Amino acid sequence: MEGAFTVNGKNRKFTFTPDERLLFTLRENGYTEVKNGCQEGECGACLILLDDKPVNSCQVLTASAIGKNIKTVKRIGDLHSPHIIQRAFVETGAVQCGFCTPGMIIATYALLRDNPDPSEEEIKNALDGNLCRCTGYVKIIEAVKLAAKRMKIGVMEYWSTGVVE
Amino acid sequence: MRDLNWYFPKSIAEAVDLVQQGKVFPHAGGTGLLSRGFTGINGLIDLSCLPLHYSKIENDSVEIGSMNTYAEAVSVLMKVDPEHIIVKSLCNSAKTPLRNRITIGGSIAYFPLWSDLMSALLALDADVMLIGKNDGQFPVEEYINNKEVRDKSLITAVKFNLSNWRSYHYRDIRTKSDYPAFNITILLKQSLNKIEDSRVIIVGTGKKYSRLTNIEEYLINRDVGKINIGEIEKLVEVKFAGKRIEDPEYSSYLAGVELGRGIEQILRGH
Repeated sequence: MEGAFTVNGKNRKFTFTPDERLLFTLRENGYTEVKNGCQEGECGACLILLDDKPVNSCQVLTASAIGKNIKTVKRIGDLHSPHIIQRAFVETGAVQCGFCTPGMIIATYALLRDNPDPSEEEIKNALDGNLCRCTGYVKIIEAVKLAAKRMKIGVMEYWSTGVVE
Repeated sequence: MRDLNWYFPKSIAEAVDLVQQGKVFPHAGGTGLLSRGFTGINGLIDLSCLPLHYSKIENDSVEIGSMNTYAEAVSVLMKVDPEHIIVKSLCNSAKTPLRNRITIGGSIAYFPLWSDLMSALLALDADVMLIGKNDGQFPVEEYINNKEVRDKSLITAVKFNLSNWRSYHYRDIRTKSDYPAFNITILLKQSLNKIEDSRVIIVGTGKKYSRLTNIEEYLINRDVGKINIGEIEKLVEVKFAGKRIEDPEYSSYLAGVELGRGIEQILRGH
């Protein structure tokens, strides 16, 4: 079957099977920044923003995303223009193998958009759907705090324009 | 490729017509469907365009549209009663990304053994609003137990009250990311030093859920000072099915202990 939805600002048509999961549709169409982890909604590696809500793309049937708006981590920032959150992850050493990082960035982005000044408990809750087998989470939590601190300085500018600094 | 048709109705009436066909299932968040698989399903009805994404609070009556996600239902209730049992049961259920996807209606229709929502709804004597072959408002317990009521009907909302229950919700998990082996909901109404009313529900038992009426009877009209937690633990007789997560005998023992702790926490705050 065919259906169109918007990915990272571009509306395009996709071909998929009726029981296909969004994770696979995205990856097969070049969005390999969406990682294929557990396929059970446990690890958070495949996290995307679906109509601005963080969801596990492995738990979404592609057909149900028709007409919806999807953002992957690349919409937030990339190598050439990293987002404050991505920079904070690199600077604090919150990235080791990097497999969980796209999902972590998405979860952090959604958290800081809704709650610019989260407590440690709120950070842990927001990232409860993202597993990391390398870092032990300490550095990840540090990264979120650092990003929050930096974003607070330019928060109004960032959320209104989408441009950092 | 599977022979599976998708339908995208623009009105509830259109969706109801599709449900009448049989073997055509409503798709809400889809997480239950993915867990269940597509055996015996010829078509899926996408409900996302229907006006089922609402919530109403009038006096102490709450109506939550079936397409609200767990996260949205919590957000609605947090504004009026942050201590509400639905808030307690859903806040720790699943994980943030899944709470953004699992819907109230889907969860009622699917009712998995690990459902945190259902123990709370059963304890609250909630009603399910249906449209289709069976139009109207049905107690959630009837919806669960009567296949005829569920048949070819679409859940449009769930209704319950914001009563002044004191509540406790327990999930039996080994790690935060676990599915619970069982979960307990306790509701108590206290007037001066007496328990006026109580509800005790365990979900995940051999019969899917159990209402512990003997515990409720023990509690009702009893002086708070005369409630013996040890006695309550001994009264708990819950049968769990074969080993799903834990040994059934251990689960039963644990349920008794946790139920006692829950009652103690409500009554004495610890």
